[in-house]
Amino acid sequence: MLTYRPGDSLAHRLDPRTKLLVQAAFAVAAFAHTTPRGLAVFTVLTAGFLAAGRVSPVDSLRGFAPALPFVVLAPLVSVVTVSPPGVDLGAAVDPALASYRVLLVLLVSAVYLRTTPVRDSRAAVERLVPGKAGRFFGVGVALVFRFFPVLLADLRRVREASAARLGDQRSLRDRIRIVGTAGVRRAFARSDRLALALRARCFAWNPTLPDLRFSRRDYPVLAFGLLLVASVFV
Amino acid sequence: MTIRTESLVHRYGDSVAVDGVSLAIDDSEFVVLAGANGSGKTTLVRHFNGLVEPDAGEVSVNGRSVPENLVAARTAVGMVFQDPRDQFVAATVGADVAFGPENLGLPRPEIDRRVSDALDAVNMAGRDDERMDELSGGEQERVAIAGALAMRPDHLVLDEPFTGLDAPARDAVVDRLESLHGAGTSVVVVTHDVRDLLAVADRVVVLSSGRVVVDETPDAAVEQLEAHDVRAPRRC
Repeated sequence: MLTYRPGDSLAHRLDPRTKLLVQAAFAVAAFAHTTPRGLAVFTVLTAGFLAAGRVSPVDSLRGFAPALPFVVLAPLVSVVTVSPPGVDLGAAVDPALASYRVLLVLLVSAVYLRTTPVRDSRAAVERLVPGKAGRFFGVGVALVFRFFPVLLADLRRVREASAARLGDQRSLRDRIRIVGTAGVRRAFARSDRLALALRARCFAWNPTLPDLRFSRRDYPVLAFGLLLVASVFV
Repeated sequence: MTIRTESLVHRYGDSVAVDGVSLAIDDSEFVVLAGANGSGKTTLVRHFNGLVEPDAGEVSVNGRSVPENLVAARTAVGMVFQDPRDQFVAATVGADVAFGPENLGLPRPEIDRRVSDALDAVNMAGRDDERMDELSGGEQERVAIAGALAMRPDHLVLDEPFTGLDAPARDAVVDRLESLHGAGTSVVVVTHDVRDLLAVADRVVVLSSGRVVVDETPDAAVEQLEAHDVRAPRRC
């Protein structure tokens, strides 16, 4: 699971709104430029983003491991033709480019996740989306970022404890059922405890959030984001 | 019937959790494995039934390499986790204790017999149909021990079994461990607070920064515990 790591890289020092906007611009532009040459340019940009956040591409891919099989499978499935039965390697080109595009977008989002504290993300979302919807999204983002790693750790412990009593010798279906059921049970118990703890600490929908200020270093990055969006129309 | 590690090393990234530990735990021994938080205790015992793989060195149970004989290791070493709720896979006591024997592929009458014996051994006899989430913390701990005992292990390893238990519940767990030990099961208790266990243990092993720094009888070890951030009993 990719989570925030403190640091002093350029990406760490940018306003989270800048990072969200540039990330969105990158995704839009990457989906507009689908040629190999376009993706080559976006590969260089992705490397730049990773360097700006001092984020390892290998660690990032590891963090997205559950999504990777889908990224790889799409081109593989597309080479199989049903009628007539056979393999058409040419059919894999477009899905492979699309998958690669998704991979680049994931890597750029990893830079955001690694360099932005959860509270800053919540503040950024609440400032970008006004009103109750923003507060709702902000709380949702904060809870997901904080709660999801805890749930993953729970699932890991349940799986490990099951293996200690030879649960790993069972069929895949049984293992999914056992770990899934125990995981859901623990998730509900944790949710109850989290709700109680939030109430005990006076949970509020409109708490004092971190001050966010654009600085001089944000403007060139925002301008670069605008360029990315503009490139869609070129 | 021995758990043996030889120059065992385990790393998490750049940090070394277990640093060249060589240790042998014989059957029928009652060993307290103590140390401060982060000293490598939990990581070390997770090697005993192959929940993690060594970065270097060897670990064997009853003469067989653990990584190469996982089923044998997990049958021989019963593991009770720090939070017993982690290991509950069923909604009722009986179904959960039966989980391990079912995985061994035993016939149903044998599974029922093992469940009954294991619950009896932890003073929970006849409570098979009770819901796990309605048990107290001490009862959950005892069911977790029963779950491990139902595998009929040669060695029982408990990771911080007293966390969150009040004094009577701790006493009940110590009583059960003492009688299991008396019946011939080797017991390894991981803890950072040895006060309840010095009277019943045969041996105290203290880890610090992943290394064994004390390996003595309780009487000989007691003087050295505080120096390694392990809570020892007050002297009279």
